[in-house]
Amino acid sequence: MISEIGLIALSIAFLFSVYGTIGSAYGGLRNRPAWVESSRNASLLVFPLLSLSVLVVVYNLYVLDLSQAYVADVASRAMSTFLRVTALWGGQQGSILFWAWIMSGFVAIVLLRKWERDRELIPYVIAVSMLTTTFFVGVVVFITNPFARLWHVPGAADLTTSVFQPINAMPYIPEDGQGLNPLLRHFGMIGHPPTTYIGFTGFVIPFAFAMAALITGKSQEDEWIRTSRRWTLVAWIFLTIGLILGGRWAYDVLGWGGFWGWDPVENAMFMPWLTGTAFLHSVMMTEKRGMLKRWNMVLIILTYALTVFGTFITRTGVISSVHAFSKSALGPAFFIFIGLTFIGSLSLLFSRWDALKTEHQLESFFSREAAFVLQNMLFLAITFAVFWGTVFPLLSELFTGTKITVGPPYFQKVTGPLFFALVLLMGIAPLFAWRKQAAHSLGRAMLLPLAASLGITAIWGYSHRMHPAPIFGLWLVSFVLLTILTEFWKGVRARMQGRGENLFLALSRLIGRNHRRYGGYVIHLGVVMIALGVIGDAYFKQETQGTLTAGQSLTVAGYSLRFEGLNSYPGTDGREVIEADTTLFQNGQAVRQLKPRRDFFIVQEQPVTVPAVYATAGTDVYILLLGWQDDGRSATFKIYINSLINWVWAGGVIMMLGTLVAAWPPRDGQKETTYQLRPQVFGPQPSTGD
Amino acid sequence: MQLDQDQNWEKRMADIETKISSTPLIVEEPGLNTTQPQRKWKTGGIPLAFVLVLGLLGLLAWGLKKAQAGPVDSGLAPDFSLTGFDGRTVTLSELRGQVVIINFWASWCPPCREEAAYLEQTWRKYKDRGVVFIGVDYVDTDKEALAYIQEFDITYINGPDIGTRISQAYNIKGVPETFYVDKKGQLRGVHIGPLKAPELDQKIEELLAEPDPGN
Repeated sequence: MISEIGLIALSIAFLFSVYGTIGSAYGGLRNRPAWVESSRNASLLVFPLLSLSVLVVVYNLYVLDLSQAYVADVASRAMSTFLRVTALWGGQQGSILFWAWIMSGFVAIVLLRKWERDRELIPYVIAVSMLTTTFFVGVVVFITNPFARLWHVPGAADLTTSVFQPINAMPYIPEDGQGLNPLLRHFGMIGHPPTTYIGFTGFVIPFAFAMAALITGKSQEDEWIRTSRRWTLVAWIFLTIGLILGGRWAYDVLGWGGFWGWDPVENAMFMPWLTGTAFLHSVMMTEKRGMLKRWNMVLIILTYALTVFGTFITRTGVISSVHAFSKSALGPAFFIFIGLTFIGSLSLLFSRWDALKTEHQLESFFSREAAFVLQNMLFLAITFAVFWGTVFPLLSELFTGTKITVGPPYFQKVTGPLFFALVLLMGIAPLFAWRKQAAHSLGRAMLLPLAASLGITAIWGYSHRMHPAPIFGLWLVSFVLLTILTEFWKGVRARMQGRGENLFLALSRLIGRNHRRYGGYVIHLGVVMIALGVIGDAYFKQETQGTLTAGQSLTVAGYSLRFEGLNSYPGTDGREVIEADTTLFQNGQAVRQLKPRRDFFIVQEQPVTVPAVYATAGTDVYILLLGWQDDGRSATFKIYINSLINWVWAGGVIMMLGTLVAAWPPRDGQKETTYQLRPQVFGPQPSTGD
Repeated sequence: MQLDQDQNWEKRMADIETKISSTPLIVEEPGLNTTQPQRKWKTGGIPLAFVLVLGLLGLLAWGLKKAQAGPVDSGLAPDFSLTGFDGRTVTLSELRGQVVIINFWASWCPPCREEAAYLEQTWRKYKDRGVVFIGVDYVDTDKEALAYIQEFDITYINGPDIGTRISQAYNIKGVPETFYVDKKGQLRGVHIGPLKAPELDQKIEELLAEPDPGN
């Protein structure tokens, strides 16, 4: 009965989405405000209706209603209640419903805010965003319905999954469900899909505003770009969190000691992140200088197209990957959607091409503008390299008949130098003034960080003679870190001297007065920290492995692991745990008892290697139990010494904090107009405040 | 009233400031900016952009058709490419018409040692009869893996499973595991644990006896 309510709510949500799309487009084109108003109301209702559907699925998972095909597929008796509820996004049907639900939530938030300012844009914002929502809700209703049941047709070997009863069929209720894929039972995997989905779906809002601006011919005005920037920031931070949680999941669960494998699904998430980041920077050019209007439009369209593209390749198995989602009828539907999106937005863009003229030309190659252009080109180059590597298996198969998969070495070699240049630019660019930068003042601003970072690097390089690449990398990280800190220090010192404020008051007021700028710097700090972690992962990783009998030790990089014995016991969520007792010694001193494990999920017949990690600020000792022999009298371990890896996670947290600062709404009276160009604020000399 | 005036004043000042600061150093007529190169870019760029997008869509359509054409039956062996320690590359889907033996192993795995000699011996026996052996080295260090290969004088292709992708695609439960793939690329069974004579010979003979597909 409950499921029927969910199904009905879902169906009504679909009808309302269709109506919202068509009605708002009609109302906009024919200038009928009543149609727009009515479509807006219909669109607003989609969110509560889908919420009801989601609640019903969650309830079914909670009570383990095994007559539901979806529940039987992703939940089982042995799973804890919490895991059962999170199984909402553990399978195809549930995750697309979840996706549609989040998207409708975004649309609802946009429609609930005051829309006086965007009165002309709103009909098309509704039409574009609801068209996308209609597609996803339609997929949920017609292709991957989470309320389908299992049926047994007499004579058939397999069970049928269908919403309605097939002729002669008997309902089938299995004894127990399949249970969630064991690899997905991890906090990173519980948090990663929702944040990723919020990030991906969030980009529909800036895209809808961009499309509306093109349709109405308001694209040369700045209104849409202000709105788009905020929404992009929201989507961007969720995508960032999703990427980091995904990395953490890979590190903890996949058991190969790394966090990023350049897998097609990872790339699919990374590409819109790259173009979104480029947009967040180049949008400042449009806001402050009226430049790069076309470019921003291209970036927004590209970012959205890449989210759709990413969803397409991961959901349809076009490019095979670790994250194998099952094959389904989704493919053709998605293909039509992706084709419409690409061609529709491109046609619209070119139809308004001439209206999107720049207001200023680049005045100097030695300016903030030029730095932004260079930065955008680097981001695009990385995006293209990643894209090329991702579609290369498909291209190579089409032209040579052989599927050639390019591995991490390709991505590392191609993007490494580009990332290096990007991080360097991140350190220098904030020192550039708008329009034109005098060389001598730039040199003065850079002198101290440059000298200090070279000094640090020289000392460090002298004491650790090794390959030049990591030394170069560490110089880069220290230089950029110092330039950012110098920026903060100059601002704080000016306030302390000019106003007699103490250090903390000066710092908080400084950030408060210009939170977008200093929030951006905090995000940059996070990026530098992640860069440090990546350098550690690339150059300072050490590993060893060996088979030990009880009492024997394995030694690497000053750490020594002693094997004590092997235990096995039944664990939660239907698993049998095989656990090794080990003691970790550092320079002869016992530092920690560690228990690397292998969990066997009995129903799925799947083992999951659970590493034991001894984490310090500098280094992770990451221990895997690979196997055992002689009834557990000996066991095989692999030890990774992952230097600096924790900087990746810490950098992620700093990036979140920075985004919060940057996205904080301006205080009353501190209108957006105060952000208009004032060279003395953005130049190398910090302002003393207002 | 006073408040209103204050706000107006602030706004006016901000406007003035904006105007001053956003005025280019060289005053230009608006409209003079439409320069010739942009026009040219546009006329050549639009068809190019559409061609690229349509090309991408075509590629995706083709990939999709292939992805959907595969039998839903899980019998098709997951495809992979493996780059061997010696630099050779092998791709499973190119080996149609041949019987393929995929062996997952690791140098740290004692049971693997038990079967290593038998595997190599069988490979030498069948290598000229349309049988391919692929050794997938699971979570290992190159140095020790190479020593292992040298120790058993293994001559068939062996390579590291980078990122444990292949192991995950085959959902292995441990090492050693051996998968049998027939001439059509279908999985025909898996052996868990070390192989002992004459299991492997029997399985190979059985698969070799089947007719060649497509010819």
